Amino acid sequence: MEKIIGIVGIPPLEIIRQINEEQGRIIDLDEPQLPLPMNREDHLPQVYCAILRTVMLNAMNMPLDRIYIDIGQGKCDCALHVATVLQHLLTIPVITTRNQDSKGFGFPICRSNLPLTEKLQAITQGVQSCEPSPDYPPSVPTAGFWGVPPRDFSLLSLFPNSTHVYGWTRCMENKTPADINLESYCNPAVPTVFFAQSFCAKTALAKHLAEHHPKGLYVDCDVNAGSSIRAKIEAFLELSQNTSPAPAASTDNGSPGDDHAAG
Amino acid sequence: MLLADFGTSYTKLFTMAEDSEPRIVPTRELDPAFMADLATGHNAKRRGRESVNELIALAKGGQRLIAEPDTVLLDCGSRDIKFIRYQGFEVVDMGWNAECGASMGFTIELLESYYNVDYTTVAVPKTGFSVTCGVLGMSNIFDAVVTGSTETEAVAKFVRGIARNAFRFAGSPDRLYLSGGLCDNPLFLGCFPCKVIPLGRFVLLEGLKEHLRSKRGLTRALPATQLLYEVEPFLM
Repeated sequence: MEKIIGIVGIPPLEIIRQINEEQGRIIDLDEPQLPLPMNREDHLPQVYCAILRTVMLNAMNMPLDRIYIDIGQGKCDCALHVATVLQHLLTIPVITTRNQDSKGFGFPICRSNLPLTEKLQAITQGVQSCEPSPDYPPSVPTAGFWGVPPRDFSLLSLFPNSTHVYGWTRCMENKTPADINLESYCNPAVPTVFFAQSFCAKTALAKHLAEHHPKGLYVDCDVNAGSSIRAKIEAFLELSQNTSPAPAASTDNGSPGDDHAAG
Repeated sequence: MLLADFGTSYTKLFTMAEDSEPRIVPTRELDPAFMADLATGHNAKRRGRESVNELIALAKGGQRLIAEPDTVLLDCGSRDIKFIRYQGFEVVDMGWNAECGASMGFTIELLESYYNVDYTTVAVPKTGFSVTCGVLGMSNIFDAVVTGSTETEAVAKFVRGIARNAFRFAGSPDRLYLSGGLCDNPLFLGCFPCKVIPLGRFVLLEGLKEHLRSKRGLTRALPATQLLYEVEPFLM
């Protein structure tokens, strides 16, 4: 009988390979999987990362056989604490992992011309596979999205297709979630929105990088992207395009420095 | 062409080629079917045939009105606060607080009528309450009155707390340009710990004019000598 296995963050490739071999079905618990309102989650403080509250909501209400939760540098300390809570609450195995994978698989989706929503859907889906992403031709970047996949993907629809993806999402595609150098990388030639979920530890890095970027905007939002967040991103993108000359095209991906070594 | 800034409490209207001055109408008095040709403000999408988001309108209005290349423009509305930071006349940072900045202008106006306070005659207090928003700071007023402060003193301390909160939100600059209805409130202006240059209530309408101008392919902005609001900085 098919096992249903929840994952949180990016467990090491060895774990993914094992699950694939046993033909288990992987459920990404970081993403909303159930039509349940967030206020049904009452095991964590209300003022807490919306991704991890989503994890808790999924884990407590789905028929899972076991859960892998990546903790440490590849995810966050809060995931460690959520793992502890789930270990107390659930009878299924809740196994913590520490992903130190360092072999880079590249990030062609991050630099492609796909709509940003499709980019992030493909990247988060790719976590369930041990294979690299399909090859996409690089686009010339006119905007950047730095950060984790948001809980509310609707905010991604505000960005142009020529948005390149940086931060932990780029690390996800590269299958090196603990690569802080890759995560910290951004392209100073590209107006970039630095996004983190409210109450996430990564807000510190997002704010820091945004302050040092010539055209950076720091944005955080909780469960859903409200009208003011959307307006901020919309205004930033429009006003940045008005004032910044488009980066010169190059043979690779259109902008100096945007070819940070994969792994 | 009718331009409108549909604020939460007040709507600012200007008809191109007909009006010489903008008009102000309480938003709740507008006919439900009332529409503008080009609109901004939180009801812009519902009431405008074309809409421009408030931050874009604010940014463009500031570019039209402010002659300083490196500065901060802060807009304090009824229900939220917004800022734009310019460097070399370009927008380099912005913020919009609809949560902790919520209901600032609304609450200050509410207190004016509730306690019958005349903000033009109230002295700027030396200390203020620590407030995070117009709603969460209200209990300070009640506590202060219970312990012997006059209602006017308590309201003044509340307004000071609100102004300091907005100042920090704008990045604590040495001087800032202020837009919105609170430009008419001398107590609020006096509570900022920096120079404040009030631009009045029509900056977003100016942003709509600038939007039209750029759509028609004209170059931007009035020269510095044609600033619409020539006022002395309000210095505390």
